[in-house]
Amino acid sequence: MLAGLASLAGLAISIYLTVVHYSTIPLACPASAVVNCEQVLSSRYAVIGGSALPTSAAGIVWFAIAAGLVLLRRRRALLAWSSIGLVTALFLVYIEIVQLGAVCIWCTAAHAMVLLIFLIALPRPEGDRVSS
Amino acid sequence: MRKPVSRTPVWVTPLAVVAGIALLVGAFLLIRWYTTPVPPPPLNVDATQRVVAAISSIPASELEAVGQGSANNVIKPVPGTMLTGPNGHPEVFYLGAEYCPYCAAERWPMIIALSRFGTFSGLKTTTSSSSDVYPNTPTFTFHGATYSSQYIDFVSVETTDRDRNPLESPTSAQQALVNQYDTSGSIPFVDFANRYAFSGAMYLPDVLSGMSWQAVADALQQADSPQAKAVLGSANLITAALCKLTADQPTSVCSSATIQAIEKTLG
Repeated sequence: MLAGLASLAGLAISIYLTVVHYSTIPLACPASAVVNCEQVLSSRYAVIGGSALPTSAAGIVWFAIAAGLVLLRRRRALLAWSSIGLVTALFLVYIEIVQLGAVCIWCTAAHAMVLLIFLIALPRPEGDRVSS
Repeated sequence: MRKPVSRTPVWVTPLAVVAGIALLVGAFLLIRWYTTPVPPPPLNVDATQRVVAAISSIPASELEAVGQGSANNVIKPVPGTMLTGPNGHPEVFYLGAEYCPYCAAERWPMIIALSRFGTFSGLKTTTSSSSDVYPNTPTFTFHGATYSSQYIDFVSVETTDRDRNPLESPTSAQQALVNQYDTSGSIPFVDFANRYAFSGAMYLPDVLSGMSWQAVADALQQADSPQAKAVLGSANLITAALCKLTADQPTSVCSSATIQAIEKTLG
């Protein structure tokens, strides 16, 4: 249930960022020395491999697949998929902090959703294991 | 006899993951802190005045010798009604930001060129952002500075400080100019009274990399230095555009062969 909601929230954020990328709608984001969505989203890292495709478009695909796996109750597949997502999110956090020196709050919200999905997908410890 | 052998609380693994990620983010912050170059401290008022005085009094003969230098002529004629400023003179409108390295580069020739038509006061030193390309480019800020001239009105907007904190906002009329003439949204943007405009810098900021303000001012006294070719060449381009607005007044500035030659290329 929570993983499904997190997937939908991540999907909504990714769609919003992609729409903003392709339109003239101003991005709702405060600008300060640390938080600066514009700096992050206008950097060369905001598009996939030098193409015109925004990174948020990949987010749409990722969250859509995550939502599908939640719906189908494919827990192991969700763990593998969210592991990929978590590594990617950590790489993007590295880019934000080390390379750009700015943080995009929308991106951070999406990264938090990836982390939440990963935590939910983690295997639960077995209950009281018993031996004779 | 059956007995329990292990029981791991359900929260242990997620907490370990979150702690690991927190450590990783901490490491990222540490790397950032260690790799961020430290900007030089701004000059005091006296030292700033000495540098401004030095670059405001570069001999006409040296400017003539440099010509266009290594500057890239990005000034384009634009259609529109002549823009006049608060004192009724043709208005030069500048939009930039203190973090922006290209604005940092462009302010040097702007100050040099505008100082041939009037006087700046209240200029302060600053550097471009430490975290952008061409970090810590030495420059001045137009924020808090005033300009007086009997030929030109100069209006500036610095939107943020070097750390990207908001500083000044363009009026709706100024924003309309930006929307009309700066379709790429690049800064710096300079509108010469709706007759000419340009955005971006006329030379790359790396020519000023690692230099102090005084070192730049000293280099500008040598016509064959890379800094003079870039900065004074740009100043001559801006001067030519200003002369177009003032009908070649003052003649002591606008009648020079270099300025007249550049004016012909502006259209």
